[in-house]
Amino acid sequence: MRIGVFICHCGSNIAGTVDCAAVAAKAATYPDVAYATDIMYACAEPGQDAIIAAIKEHQLSGVVVASCTPRMHEPTFRKTVERAGLNRYMFEMANIREHVSWIGKDIEANTNKAAELVRMAAAKLRLNKELKPKSFPVTKRLLVVGGGVAGIQAALDAADAGLEVILVEKQPTIGGKMAKLDKTFPTVDCSSCILGPRMVDVAQHPNITLYAYSEVESVSGYVGNFDVKIRKKASYVDWVKCTGCGLCTEKCPARKSYDRFNEGVGPTTAIIIPFPQAIPKKASIEREHCRLLTGGKCGVCAKVCPTGAINYAMEDEIIEARVGGIVAATGYDLIDWKIYEEYGGGRYPDVVTSLQYERMLSASGPTGGHIKRPSDGVEPKDVVFIQCVGSRDPSIGRPYCSGFCCMYTAKQAILTKDHIPDSQSYVFYMDIRSPGKGYDEFTRRVQEEYKARYIRGRVSLVYPKGNKLIVRGADTLMGVQVEVEADLVVLAVGAEAASESAKLAEKLRISYDSYGFFMEGHPKLKPVETNTAGVFLAGACQGLKDIPSSVAQGSAAAAKAIGLLSRDMLDSDPQIAFVSANRCVGCGKCIEVCPFKAIQEIDLRGQPKAEVIETVCQGCGLCNATCPQGAIQLSHFTDNQILAEVEALCRF
Amino acid sequence: MSIQDDIKAAIAKALQDIPCVIGWGAGPEPLRATPLFMRNAADVENFTAGFLAVNNPALYLPSCKGVKTALVVKGCDARSVGQLVAENLVKRDELYLIGYPCSGVIDVDKVAARLEGKCEPGEVTRLREENEDVILDTPGGEVRLAKKDIAADKCARCRYPNAESADVFIGEKRAPVVDQDEYADLADFEKLSLEERKAFWEKELSRCIRCYACRNACPLCVCRDHCVASSREPHWLTQADGVRDKLFFQLIHATHLAGRCTGCGECERACPVGIPVLTLKRAFSRQVEDMFGYMAGIDVNTTPPLLTFRLEEPEIKEREW
Repeated sequence: MRIGVFICHCGSNIAGTVDCAAVAAKAATYPDVAYATDIMYACAEPGQDAIIAAIKEHQLSGVVVASCTPRMHEPTFRKTVERAGLNRYMFEMANIREHVSWIGKDIEANTNKAAELVRMAAAKLRLNKELKPKSFPVTKRLLVVGGGVAGIQAALDAADAGLEVILVEKQPTIGGKMAKLDKTFPTVDCSSCILGPRMVDVAQHPNITLYAYSEVESVSGYVGNFDVKIRKKASYVDWVKCTGCGLCTEKCPARKSYDRFNEGVGPTTAIIIPFPQAIPKKASIEREHCRLLTGGKCGVCAKVCPTGAINYAMEDEIIEARVGGIVAATGYDLIDWKIYEEYGGGRYPDVVTSLQYERMLSASGPTGGHIKRPSDGVEPKDVVFIQCVGSRDPSIGRPYCSGFCCMYTAKQAILTKDHIPDSQSYVFYMDIRSPGKGYDEFTRRVQEEYKARYIRGRVSLVYPKGNKLIVRGADTLMGVQVEVEADLVVLAVGAEAASESAKLAEKLRISYDSYGFFMEGHPKLKPVETNTAGVFLAGACQGLKDIPSSVAQGSAAAAKAIGLLSRDMLDSDPQIAFVSANRCVGCGKCIEVCPFKAIQEIDLRGQPKAEVIETVCQGCGLCNATCPQGAIQLSHFTDNQILAEVEALCRF
Repeated sequence: MSIQDDIKAAIAKALQDIPCVIGWGAGPEPLRATPLFMRNAADVENFTAGFLAVNNPALYLPSCKGVKTALVVKGCDARSVGQLVAENLVKRDELYLIGYPCSGVIDVDKVAARLEGKCEPGEVTRLREENEDVILDTPGGEVRLAKKDIAADKCARCRYPNAESADVFIGEKRAPVVDQDEYADLADFEKLSLEERKAFWEKELSRCIRCYACRNACPLCVCRDHCVASSREPHWLTQADGVRDKLFFQLIHATHLAGRCTGCGECERACPVGIPVLTLKRAFSRQVEDMFGYMAGIDVNTTPPLLTFRLEEPEIKEREW
């Protein structure tokens, strides 16, 4: 083999702390290295041209580039060597930037380490084999998980582009958190008025199949062909027959059920249609509240239903579908604010969450849009808003800013004044974060026009006094302690990833951070991709964001999915496992550990053997590490290649 | 009828529809029995169980795949069988197990130590069992030794003397040893510093002649001709002389047996130069027990922990939350 080695300066990124010329000189002495040089920017056009010229001039059969992380430029250089006529896998990369120059300042030590890394790469390259991808057909269907505004946007955009879309929503209606909002900042326009038409579009779009009250049960397969099982939860109402007339919800006698859609602001019935604009506008029974399903006696809804849609014997149904790509748009949940004893820990009825307050403001909410104290139904005059409840609080493990609370608190203060003109709002805040378009103007307006009193400081205690709540806090700008007599306290509760997002991440085989937010492929350059090919992210599941950003990300995720699924065939990665049948004893340990179900047992002349399903294998290497006799090897990362690297590093 | 006769009767019965029963028969010298492959009534006459039934008959099972085979098993043998079944290396319905209560087996090295200065073990002309003792006829006259003094180390800490998974069990079940920390000797060994331990293994392994008897005697070493020790692809071990590759092989062997080794001790018994190779395997077994609560070869329906994959192990806290 004739190996060419190129040591990149990366401007001063590498050359600042690594003697690149010295590394090249050392590399020239390594086995099979025919040519070694240093180069200013290997990835730039002149750099790539120089590599191609060297391959031709020195008849190189393999190339090592020592530069940055392969995550950055391995695809670049693979294409480069391919343009010079080599197989793209006759290329190795040594990371002497992230692993060397950026982490140490000792030039001599860095130079030595860089030379060692290059030695390892060259030793591995000597055992590289030409690999060729196989191509396989793509299923042109997209699964969107989560029917909030981000998921709706992604589904609509993909469907408009001609893709079949399956939209799965956990709740009985799509709309997500946005459907619960009364108005939206900074325009104070009606949330359901702008979201409603989009929801209707979802229902009516010929390319969208909506599974509401359903959850993703399992996902197998791989980019281009995921096999998904969807659990359609028993709603006990035949949605084909249900017309959404609502007669059942009027007659249901179980009137003290928790109202999930209205955040428990008022009770509801066991059979519900969450709100008037619900999509699908179908009734569903919440099992734990239903008198018939729990006690065996009632059946009122079945009696009144004009179409006979009620079916108490309904069971969960599993729907199987094959999709080419998946968009996760599972949104967020509010944190459990009741851990805060200083705000009453949930004992005072007149301390409510921002989302509960939103339902009180909404004309379609349980109070009909009238703000009433939960304790006595009286209209409050002094309303205190406490911001950063569960945001920016390292003491409860939530050090991040939830991002949208400053804005919705300002909006709620404006709406309070609109609803009750003689009211006074107080807002306890840490900092006002309003960097969006028209946002800062909005927070000025609430203070200047709507005369909300903004007090910069934290609240130390909320306690009841008579029928009032005393809010004691600091005014750090004035340097004094303040006490406000409040009729109603609204907590701007911070948000966290949706409660079961970690479970979904594991089904989708994507990473999630320590708060449960899904990890994007790259924090700047791949904001909607994940590290699992074919899985994209939209909305707050990736990190908290407001409606405009969620919608933008929904469209972005759809664009990525459309790009992927516009192709008829995809190339499979040839860096996959392969079995030497003569070594395999058929114990099946590899089958057991494979997270992708990519290994099957076959019968070879009466003996059980393992076989890799090439298009399913993702090359993770678990089987490789498990097989005791080394019968399963990973192409491009064979035991011998890794041993060659170890030997190159640990010479003795 | 003695237990011995009852087992013979069970073997004879098994032979009616199973071609071969594996047990033990008289060996080349009075201190040793040898594996016996019984195919007819005459073979059964040569059967012997008891203190000399040292060999683990599970060793032969992977090569009997596809043929119904019967084994006479001690408790520890049954664990090896159980592990092979749990790993799908043999099929339980292709097996017929005849169990009996084992009261320990001989360690010839210990006998040799007791006879030190008197005679070589090979000079013993007869061995008789008498309750808890054995009586050896030696050139210098009778020598009486207590069984517990010359039994294998594993027997002193045996938690499973009865082959619980046997299809037929002959005799009364024995109470297991439970009052002892099974790994007390490991704890003692680990009091040595890392340097001392390294020096210990280098000294011990320097005697290794790379005969791979340890591997060949192991009932769970199923790679046979494709063992990484002799393979070039992958080329894990070189042919270079020196203690490095010898130690490397033992570490690979022990790693391959992590969560699989039942501690039958055949590897160590087979070693012609007396290297305590079982210690390495037991160190892994203890770790697997601590971490996963798993003991190899007990429950065939539990997937061995290192043969499966979970994103989150309950006992391994990669993330604190």
